[in-house]
Amino acid sequence: MLRIENLHKSFGDLQVLEGIDLQVKKSEVVVIIGASGSGKSTLLRCINFLEYSDQGKIYIEGQLLNEKNEREINQMRARVGMVFQHFNLFPHKTVIENVMEGLTQVRKISKFEAKKIAYKYIEKVGLTDKEKVYPAMLSGGQKQRVAIARALAMEPVVMLFDEPTSALDPELVGEVLLVMKELAREGMTMVVVTHEMGFAREVADRVIFMDDGQILEVGTPEDIFDRPQNERSQAFLSAII
Amino acid sequence: MEFINVIIKYIPLFLPAAWMTIQITVLGITIGVLLGLAGAFLRISDKWWVNAIARIYIFVIRGTPLLLQLFIFFYVLRQALSLDSMTAAFLALGLHNGAYITEIFRGSIQSIDHGQMEAARSLGMSYPRAMIRIILPQAFKRSIPPLGNQFIIALKDSSLASAITINEVLLQAQRLAAANYKMLEMLTIAAIFYLFYTSIFTWLVNRLEAWLNVDSK
Ligand SMILES: Nc1ncnc2c1ncn2[C@@H]1O[C@H](COP(=O)(O)OP(=O)(O)OP(=O)(O)O)[C@@H](O)[C@H]1O
Ligand SMILES: [Mg+2]
Repeated sequence: MLRIENLHKSFGDLQVLEGIDLQVKKSEVVVIIGASGSGKSTLLRCINFLEYSDQGKIYIEGQLLNEKNEREINQMRARVGMVFQHFNLFPHKTVIENVMEGLTQVRKISKFEAKKIAYKYIEKVGLTDKEKVYPAMLSGGQKQRVAIARALAMEPVVMLFDEPTSALDPELVGEVLLVMKELAREGMTMVVVTHEMGFAREVADRVIFMDDGQILEVGTPEDIFDRPQNERSQAFLSAII
Repeated sequence: MEFINVIIKYIPLFLPAAWMTIQITVLGITIGVLLGLAGAFLRISDKWWVNAIARIYIFVIRGTPLLLQLFIFFYVLRQALSLDSMTAAFLALGLHNGAYITEIFRGSIQSIDHGQMEAARSLGMSYPRAMIRIILPQAFKRSIPPLGNQFIIALKDSSLASAITINEVLLQAQRLAAANYKMLEMLTIAAIFYLFYTSIFTWLVNRLEAWLNVDSK
């Protein structure tokens, strides 16, 4: 489904990713944890080429992506859903227009069809009463659910989440995690960067601990949370739990 | 009372000049907006030499007086390109305003959160499409207040065209005063026209802003 080989990335002198290898199978939920600055966001952003890696290979559904081919990258991005920490909804568009945007502009689906598809996903995240509202009128949790619907409407083969609940008030975290759990249950392939250890324990098939641009430990949630092998992961986990 | 009567009597004599003021202002602004759009795209390019073209343009225009620019168009380019005086005037105004409007557009485009472009690109949109659909509509809205301000400056700057024989409001006031010795009254009439125009501009800009503010953000 998704395969990353020997990924390297630096910003100037700062080495952020130092040889990441990762394989995600279909319907697998992989949760990435690690300290701030360890390169989690950069890894996700390299997967859909919001950052260009310096070295390494990325395969999606077996296809090796060529960063020089703009068309190919755009087509790949349309099949990879991305959810950002700060939602990044389009403020000049209503909820339904946000969800329709990729359908009409990228997948070239007629407005009429796009509306139907968009509505389906708005319903899925439980916001049918808000379809005509502008993002400014929504709570953070609602915004993030719209952002998830916007990504889902493209019918992606994998969803990338970069700390989707970190910008939310604590009481709004649950509604977003609920939508994500539902997605996982339906068999969506997901890569999730999060500090929600409860979510990781409940939903993740595999947990990855990143430190200083490297994957230090990989395992089931039980392995990582109950029997961490690496002393850096032990230190990280004891600090946050 | 006499003062008011003189003003009322002379206002109609200003109408052709008032029309001239509006024409060179509107044409100058239109050219300025088009140049500003083009300039902003050059300015946000990551190719240094593309960027440099716009920087040099802005450097030259902002670093020299508008009057000098008008003179260049009137005394040099008018002959070279066989333009009429009015064309020379609004081209100079357009070129001048284009530099300022470039910076207005550039600023508003760059003020849009980077996440907007990333969200659009991550849906698979190409850069130009993301610009047109997502960035520019938001940037345009943000540029309305400074743009309105620039329009008012352009209106008042159009009076400098009097120095190159354009018979706009201010030159008309001077000409009439030279004949009737009523300088205060003639200048008052000119002021009335400028205030009238700036009020209309301000009103239009506010309407446009309110209309674009439907998403209340
Ligand atoms: N565009 C950039 N330019 C320069 N440095 C960057 C850039 N993006 C990230 N970095 C640096 O790269 C390092 C890794 O950043 P990254 O955002 O991937 O970390 P993270 O694990 O997601 O952290 P957090 O938990 O804080 O989100 C950090 O030191 C960060 O300052
Ligand atoms: Mg991050």
